[in-house]
Amino acid sequence: MATFDVHVTIENKPGISDPEGETILNDLVLRGLHKSVTKIKTAKMLKFTITEKDKKTAHSKVQKICDDLRIYNPMVSIVTVDVFDA
Amino acid sequence: MSLEPQELDELKSKIGRVPTSTELEIVAAQWSEHCSYKSSKMHLKMLPMTGPLVINEKGYDSGVLDVGGGYVVTAHIESHNHPSAVEPYGGAATGVGGVVRDILSAGTRPIAIFDGLRFGNIEKDKQARWLFKNAVKGIADYGNCLGIPTIGGEVEFDDCYQNYALVDVACVGFGRKDKLIKNHAKKGDVVVLLGGSTGRDGIGGSQFASDSLESEDRSAVQIPDPFIEKLIIEAILEARTQKLIHAMKDLGGGGLSCAVSEIADTLDIGIEMDVNKVHTRENDMHPNEIMVSESQERMLIVTSKVKLKKLQKICEKFRIGCSVIGSVTFDNKVHVKKGNKTFANLSADIIANATLLDLPSKKPSYLKTITHEKKLKPITDYSKMMMKFLSAPNIASKIWVYSQYDHEVGIRTVVKPGGDASVLRLDNGKFLSVKIDGNPKQCYINPREGAIGCFEEACRNVVCTGAKPVGMLDHLQFGSPKDPEIFWTFLESLKGLTDFAKDFGIPCIGGKVSLYNETPAGSIKPTPLIGVLGLIDKKPLVPQKIIDGDCLVIVGDTKDELGGSEYFEYIHKFIGGNCPTVNFKESKKNMNAVLDIISKQIIKSAHDCSKGGLAVAVSELCMTSNIGCNVSLDMVPGEKLSFDRILFSESHSRYLLTVEKKNISKLEKILKKYKVSFKNIGEFGGEKIRFNHNNTSVINLRVDKAHKTWINSLRDLVLHG
Repeated sequence: MATFDVHVTIENKPGISDPEGETILNDLVLRGLHKSVTKIKTAKMLKFTITEKDKKTAHSKVQKICDDLRIYNPMVSIVTVDVFDA
Repeated sequence: MSLEPQELDELKSKIGRVPTSTELEIVAAQWSEHCSYKSSKMHLKMLPMTGPLVINEKGYDSGVLDVGGGYVVTAHIESHNHPSAVEPYGGAATGVGGVVRDILSAGTRPIAIFDGLRFGNIEKDKQARWLFKNAVKGIADYGNCLGIPTIGGEVEFDDCYQNYALVDVACVGFGRKDKLIKNHAKKGDVVVLLGGSTGRDGIGGSQFASDSLESEDRSAVQIPDPFIEKLIIEAILEARTQKLIHAMKDLGGGGLSCAVSEIADTLDIGIEMDVNKVHTRENDMHPNEIMVSESQERMLIVTSKVKLKKLQKICEKFRIGCSVIGSVTFDNKVHVKKGNKTFANLSADIIANATLLDLPSKKPSYLKTITHEKKLKPITDYSKMMMKFLSAPNIASKIWVYSQYDHEVGIRTVVKPGGDASVLRLDNGKFLSVKIDGNPKQCYINPREGAIGCFEEACRNVVCTGAKPVGMLDHLQFGSPKDPEIFWTFLESLKGLTDFAKDFGIPCIGGKVSLYNETPAGSIKPTPLIGVLGLIDKKPLVPQKIIDGDCLVIVGDTKDELGGSEYFEYIHKFIGGNCPTVNFKESKKNMNAVLDIISKQIIKSAHDCSKGGLAVAVSELCMTSNIGCNVSLDMVPGEKLSFDRILFSESHSRYLLTVEKKNISKLEKILKKYKVSFKNIGEFGGEKIRFNHNNTSVINLRVDKAHKTWINSLRDLVLHG
């Protein structure tokens, strides 16, 4: 068994508007004249620490937790699960 | 895509050729039930729509009432049931946004929001709790960000809404009569799309709302952005004041295709537009997607070329998008182009007017036996039962809900939520009282009487603040109209509402029909929701604290009407019995008597007697004033009944008046003059809520304990399950 850090990123599906990200882009970043920035998207991240036998199991376990417990609404959001060695 | 084969044939024969794919999308959106009202429109005409205060202008999305002194009040009701059932936060929030823009499109400022919410059994069902919690949060976040107070509504739970949600939002606006938008257009005028960018969210939403909600068919959600909405409100009102708007329409269900075709049809003009000019969120959107996208926070405006400059300046100031997407023509056609290429070119009146259906109806078979009562289980301890009853989700205080809403922003709120109706101060010195009410449990047992009951209850609520009902909004929510039994319940409810409205001279100033409300377990119960607006010329009745020695007077008869009551359904788990009915003559008499009494300022408060019956209404008075009461059930006027029926019958037309002892004879004199049925049934004092029958105490509760249960139980249920 090994310990892994699992990062779960929850964000709006592509194509769905992201008012918070757009506000940060237009009202903060572009106003500071950082014109090279073209897009900002907001997301929520959950950081899990989990002990499992391998990376793959850690990944599927966390994905299942998020699906079963409705950590996100699949209608609106997508999740990305990234696993790192702790 | 939901054009049916015969509709497609009809379209082909009307235009004499095969429609393009864009034309099909546009027509499918506009001919959907949600936009065309094809099943209901033919019957809705029976409602009285005119009255001395009603201002009818073409193209308004909201009802307009002349409230005197050069001012108008506007009102509208909408629902966002299907979207809220899959994404409660965004669905409920965008529901608020839509109805706010309807008010705005008449050129009036939105001043109050009301919401009626219905969910499944939150005691047992986690999903229902999740829907409830997030829908409330969505409404709160959106309304609070806009700076519009949410000042009233109602919440109800019933098994028939399992895995589903009814989210109804009403909005009231206020403005000057001379600043109302008079929708018109001249040749050469330009068509402007103002507000948020057009994206892929909510594509096909109106068709989605018109199809049953199958579990796998859950798509088309919209994302709320209240800050853009707030900017739109201010920009539009500034443009209105500068008289820059010839015609205006909000973009709701069906997106651009519906807004463009409806405005063209109403004003008898043509519109030529270029999808390349629409400001989009993504670059690769197809014209079809642009035409039917239901992205939120957008308005369509028709203005002249000269005024356009000023309009653009205002948009620049508020930093909201503003694209000139087309111009007004006089061929009555909706012509959609992308650059030079035509994608759709159809007569506006073909798009905007779907063929209306005259659907068959049939009295549902379940109604044959619904009035038969089963034998009720005996209850040994009514005090204990009453404590449980006060914590029932439908009876418990809704403070957990309305405390999340800012109900005072705008400083118009004179009577706050939590009581009967809320009251707003208007600039002409008058006051506006508004309430929305529904009762699916009674409407299921008797669709006609149930609907009339909702109407009368909303009237009673505004009457309790001293307001005379002047207008009504109806929101008719039913299952699939293709089921003749369901369609019968729709027609019965509508006929009942029509009869009441005509008899009482209360015009219907706006409304909405939401059909196909189906859950995996079947159709919802008939759920008409009625909003009533009342006007107070002088002074509203703001409930005063009840103190020792004050008297309790009931007006109206208590009858053996427990069908659909909370007592039958929550305590005895029984659906059936006699639905309360309204006696129009009695109802009118009681209303006039109470209004007269309030205008003479001799009572401390008036409270209507409804859900949970007399027992709950009296307890509410006691709990909010933190005082006990001794009530004699033998004195209650009406039919001779067992004491539990007197306590829990939900008969209509009843009012509880609290009055200082010194005023009681004055009060009785007026009530006698009106020949209404009334009795002094109790006196306030002490710390116990006591109901007595034949000199025996049948309920005896400590008011502080009762209050604690009543006020906290809903919150505890939502937060801790």
